Amino acid sequence: MFRPPDYARRAAVGAALAPVVLSAAVVLSAAACGGGATAQQTAEGNGSSFVSGTYGTTVFRPGARPVAPQVTGTTLTGTRYLLSADRGAVVVLNFWGSWCSPCREEAPALGALARHFSAAGVRFVGVDIRDDTASAEAFMRTFRIGYPSLNDPSDAIALDFSGTVPPAGIPTTLVIDRSGRIAARIVGTASYDGLEALITSVERA
Amino acid sequence: MTGLRIPPEAGPEERATEFADAAEPHSQASARPAGRFGVAGWLRWGWRQLTSMRTALILLFLLAVGSVPGSLLPQEGSNPEAVAQYYTAHPKLAPILARLSLFNVFGAPWFAAIYLLLFLSLVGCVLPRTVRMVGSARQPPPRAPRHLARLPLSVSYRTEQPPEQALASAARLLSGKRFRVRAEADWVAAEKGYLREAGNLLFHIALLAVLVSIGLGGLYGYKANRLLVAGTSFSNTVTALDVFRPGRLVTPGDLQPFSLTLDRFSASYVTSGTLMGQPSAFNAALTYTSAPGGPSRRYVLTVNHPLVVDGVRVFLIGHGYAPEFRVTDGTGHVVLDGPVPFIPVETSGFTSEGAIKVPDASPQQLGFVGVFLPTTVDVGGRLASAFPAPLKPSVSLVSYAGNLGMNSGTPQSVYTLDTAGLHQLAVAPRPLTAGQSIQLPGRLGTLTYLGYRQWISLAITYDPGQFPALVSGIAVLGGLLLSFMVRRRRVFVRARAGAAGETIIDVGGLSRSDAAGGFEDEFSSLATEIRGAIDGSPGRPEEHWGDHEPPEGE
Repeated sequence: MFRPPDYARRAAVGAALAPVVLSAAVVLSAAACGGGATAQQTAEGNGSSFVSGTYGTTVFRPGARPVAPQVTGTTLTGTRYLLSADRGAVVVLNFWGSWCSPCREEAPALGALARHFSAAGVRFVGVDIRDDTASAEAFMRTFRIGYPSLNDPSDAIALDFSGTVPPAGIPTTLVIDRSGRIAARIVGTASYDGLEALITSVERA
Repeated sequence: MTGLRIPPEAGPEERATEFADAAEPHSQASARPAGRFGVAGWLRWGWRQLTSMRTALILLFLLAVGSVPGSLLPQEGSNPEAVAQYYTAHPKLAPILARLSLFNVFGAPWFAAIYLLLFLSLVGCVLPRTVRMVGSARQPPPRAPRHLARLPLSVSYRTEQPPEQALASAARLLSGKRFRVRAEADWVAAEKGYLREAGNLLFHIALLAVLVSIGLGGLYGYKANRLLVAGTSFSNTVTALDVFRPGRLVTPGDLQPFSLTLDRFSASYVTSGTLMGQPSAFNAALTYTSAPGGPSRRYVLTVNHPLVVDGVRVFLIGHGYAPEFRVTDGTGHVVLDGPVPFIPVETSGFTSEGAIKVPDASPQQLGFVGVFLPTTVDVGGRLASAFPAPLKPSVSLVSYAGNLGMNSGTPQSVYTLDTAGLHQLAVAPRPLTAGQSIQLPGRLGTLTYLGYRQWISLAITYDPGQFPALVSGIAVLGGLLLSFMVRRRRVFVRARAGAAGETIIDVGGLSRSDAAGGFEDEFSSLATEIRGAIDGSPGRPEEHWGDHEPPEGE
């Protein structure tokens, strides 16, 4: 169970939530947000492949969605998972860790959204990073997370995404459309309303 | 560079004059009052000040002074643990220093300002100089002075040869000695040592290349840190790194996709003598792949011998202990099972401190503050560590329950416990050895200390400018040496008819370098050879010296 000193330093140095790790993501998202870590609506960008952005959120236009890589792994309960087996369904992929405060903050929203969208066939899958299995399972009990999470002790899954839309911080949430393309990415805490709107727009398309 | 006007049609001589008139960079800054020149005048004045030698030297000095806190204070890039320790040791001073970017000197805005100004100053100096030196290197030898006897070195003699033939012989000889020769009706001018200019040019261009290389590294390079517990792995992705400092143009997708496993780590210490407890060797046995699906390779990482993978260098910069715990909560669930890295707070005994957080324990969140002693000794009722190696490890814990404050989303230190929402539990404070447990009161759960693992901390640096900087650095030295060692020297020969029908030959010599020396010898032997060439020339009337093509200079 590796608790990244990252967070230690960030808290100690007294820096704002927007950490060094996230800064690159901010640069990436074409919606140049001037605000802090709080969600801030910005004008829709034109001409780029990104349509709109909340702080830390990147939305890809249907024509410009990168293809998600092959994701395979073993869940915390020991079953194999294949992302391509969920082709045809909208998949929400959430990178998290039980030690990560922003992940704990967003967990109730994710759990509730998974229940809300289960009838619509939207799949939720977690990727547990730098964690021990016991802590991860305890986290899922605490927040009543019903969906499976892949155990990723060597960051292999995060690495798989490095060629397309790399998770630029923990937590990172990806919304993958029915054809296996990445439709949106949220770096940082996902809000219930924000993520619900993203899923709905991808799910109804 | 606005001050530079290069008329393409101008000959070399005019061009030289042009450059002499243009702002003489890195000469003494002109203190000319600029008020009456208006905005343009002020700009010109400012540019001259910036590109003056004095300003460049001051900036260079500031750069050196600015780097000093980088070696006096711990730096986040190279030693984040020490920075964290500094915060605990100086809670008032540290935030002020952080505000001044003194924990990250080389990334500080003021450091960048000095660097950029120096760059601008050097560019402003080097570019005009470079153009001037190109002109100077292409310049043919100047006209021969009228009175060669006034030159520092001169000699005069008479010969039977007619002036034209004498001059032709002298020109041929000088050409043969790799002089650049300019021949006119009654004189020959020759110059040698253009390599000095080439060296000068090389020096200046290479100096610019050094700066560009460093800038390249700043834009496309990155630095990262990662703490890695023995027996675990990580990949070079942003989410797996503890600290990530990308260059301006680095995106998370640019990171080289290597993965690395720490198989074993061993530290050896001096066991006797005055140096007892000092580390003697660190060895980290790694297995790595440079890309997913690639072949696994092995490497033994030691201090100052980085692993180089895909152009990225991975340094071993620290190590420590990660005691392993298993926590069972009040409902009987195992809620934590694994190593928790502790941070060393002193080096003689490697006493390490850390925090264990169990946010998903039920019915209450649990927290522990711990001290790990590698070699536990009892010093008058107080426990301490006598040696850095794990000879008699133990861990002492203070237990808390309540609210860890982790569910609000505010990032917090993983090494310290915020006890604001917690209450201490009444547990007898006794050191645990491997396998021993604490039974928490009020049926809150059990903690078992299982043993320990070691961790290493890695600095990951990618600097694409490093190799170009090295090459340019060598070129800077080479250029400097060349310009110091090669002397630019001129030899003039005049021939005129004497009163008695003989020919009077004047030979004059001049070295343009201040650090001349040894030119006297060269000149006297040259003069002798010229005389020999003139007197001994068979005299071929059909050959006209004007047909003689002066060779391109060196």
